[in-house]
Amino acid sequence: MAIKLPGMYGREVGEREGYRIVELFIGPQHPASGHMRMILYLDGDVVVKVDPDIGYVHRTIEKLSETREYVRVISLIERMTIIDACNVTLPYIEAVEKLLDVEPPPRAKYLRTILCEINRIASHLYGLGLGGIFLNHSTMYMWAFGDREVFLHLANMLTGARLTHTYSVFGGVRRDLPQGFKDEFAKAKRYMLKRLKEYDKIFYNNPVIRGRLENVGVLEKEQAISLGATGPNLRASGVYYDARLIGYAAYPDLDFRPVVGKHGDALERIWVRLREIEVSLDLIERALKELPEGPIINERFTKGIPPKVRHWFEKGFIKLPGGYVRLKTRAGEVITRAEMGHGEITYYLVSNGDIKPYRLRVVTPSARNVILFTVLPVGHTLMDFPAIYGSLDYFPPEADR
Amino acid sequence: MEAEGERVMVLEQLATQTGLPEWLLRGVLAPLVYPGLGAFAAVALFIIWAERKIAAKVQMRVGPLYVARRLGGALQLLADGIRITFQEIIVPVTVEKKAYVAAPIFAFAIVAASLAVIPGGPGVYGFSSSVSLLVPFALLGLIPIVIAVMGWASNNKFTYIGAGREILVTVAGEVTLLASLLATAMMYGSLDINKIVTMQIRTGIPGIVVNPIAAFLFFVAALLMTDRIPFDVVLGEQEIVQGPYTEYTGLLFVLNMALDYGKLYALMLLFSDLFLGGWMPFDGVLLGSLTVFIKTIVLMLIAIFLRSVYGRMRIDQIASMFWSRLFPLALASLVISAAVHVVYTP
Repeated sequence: MAIKLPGMYGREVGEREGYRIVELFIGPQHPASGHMRMILYLDGDVVVKVDPDIGYVHRTIEKLSETREYVRVISLIERMTIIDACNVTLPYIEAVEKLLDVEPPPRAKYLRTILCEINRIASHLYGLGLGGIFLNHSTMYMWAFGDREVFLHLANMLTGARLTHTYSVFGGVRRDLPQGFKDEFAKAKRYMLKRLKEYDKIFYNNPVIRGRLENVGVLEKEQAISLGATGPNLRASGVYYDARLIGYAAYPDLDFRPVVGKHGDALERIWVRLREIEVSLDLIERALKELPEGPIINERFTKGIPPKVRHWFEKGFIKLPGGYVRLKTRAGEVITRAEMGHGEITYYLVSNGDIKPYRLRVVTPSARNVILFTVLPVGHTLMDFPAIYGSLDYFPPEADR
Repeated sequence: MEAEGERVMVLEQLATQTGLPEWLLRGVLAPLVYPGLGAFAAVALFIIWAERKIAAKVQMRVGPLYVARRLGGALQLLADGIRITFQEIIVPVTVEKKAYVAAPIFAFAIVAASLAVIPGGPGVYGFSSSVSLLVPFALLGLIPIVIAVMGWASNNKFTYIGAGREILVTVAGEVTLLASLLATAMMYGSLDINKIVTMQIRTGIPGIVVNPIAAFLFFVAALLMTDRIPFDVVLGEQEIVQGPYTEYTGLLFVLNMALDYGKLYALMLLFSDLFLGGWMPFDGVLLGSLTVFIKTIVLMLIAIFLRSVYGRMRIDQIASMFWSRLFPLALASLVISAAVHVVYTP
């Protein structure tokens, strides 16, 4: 006997606000939704409204960080974007350094910059790979993820961890540049430049891919600014803005120029990511060339170290003093910003002079970019939705925090 | 004409040995053994493995490896197939049960039936008719209707959208496919596939050389009809999960998956008969059949290789490509055929 379930028939067309529409739930159990749900309202094949339903991977990171000592927060907030671990923690570290009145030595600043750019390349490759599979271009997907390994290897060499390398710590970095890193990077750069040409051939200049991305999800310059879009998505719309221009870490010394697009369509967003990889490779090369000599951590933390473990420093490793866990900052509030692979991240740190943050507010780039989902797909067909999603390089765990 | 005599002899011998009527023997052996389901099963096993291996090679991966390591993971699909065959068939409460279960079986049976008409070698066919070229086309034309039933019966938004896409794609592709078939028929003045092959052998020139436009159109339309990348809008994983097949599990899903490969196999078999001269360099049953089989596999390999190069086209782009660019080309191929016909049949 058949069970009658009124209103459960998928083929029934609903009516909302006078329109006959199909309410399509994409996700969270869907091959191309990510850790979130999109509610699409379709009139025929045309998207009339998108309702991004976020929060599926909310881990209360802001609240949890109030319960941990400053140094233990670093490895927690890395979990927001493990693919971009240096960029996501750097502004927090700079915020705490401001409250501690500690300045990292120049060598540490350069090393941070190097790891940040390695992370940015890996993050862009991740985004490009997902952008490929959203168009069912499995070769781009596999190539990007395969070539990402090169940069994970470099990060591994530098820090000892592939993803969650808690590399930057208050006052400096954890490890010195290992021997042979420069040669390994030169190899990686040669390889990546060659691969970027191949990406252009198989993906960016592929007629099918161009047809899917050109004039799809156009974000006008004014609209991008008023919606608060950030990162490559903002620059693709022709806005000359990059948080790296405000000059943190070693960026002021490196003569950095952001990549800026024109049209702001999905293809342009992919283009900006591809070109930013080249820029990042140049930045790392310059940073390695101009890398100053000197200590890698502020002397304030190395003073109290017993001579027994001092030999670690000669090997380029930092053995932090026990008191490092219970650092006390002065009371105050700081705002810091940095440019991640996905866009600009902002930290607002409030301290009441305790060993733990009083409040840590994080605004991640994906949290800012999620609004684009409600704007860009409207008026396009259902098939354009994955193309737009892929071009935005949206990362749900980062948005949900 | 020697081939004609030999072919009759082989099956006649078999018929006298077994004591069965020859038509029955043909009607059973062709759709079930070669070029039918038995051969198709072998092709599917090989092609899906090759598809994964070729894509893996392009994409710097290994591909299937662990099942039959010495053969490069060639038996992976067999292992997967056995597992999925014994998997529970889940029938959701909201589906129209009878249509839901019957549709995949029916669709696959139609593909198998179309293999009864397409010759897989000299005299290796189930039935021959003076209009045998139209039979596979007509049978394959039935499948979108069954898929629409599938989408409707599954009672899910994704399947429903997928069924709509299948209809749209068929409308766009079928015209081009028919035009290229008719161009071939016109060229040789016959709708009989066997006769078209014999004409090619007699003239010594395969159809692809005489009318490359028709061959190209047939190939592209076949890609569209069988959901190959870049035309895989019906499956459309990133939008509609698995299209009309979303709600299926177990054996019914296997049938659906085999459906597209079956269609591809049938159409590529037809392609090698119509445009590559069928069993062209050979006359014997065994060598001739092997030639057709190898040609078909090579064509399928070309079709599956496109997966590593392209992404998915949008529906409106496919429709406009087929109606405004390929359909005029089809008319041009008809003009070529008209000219060739005059030369071939004085």
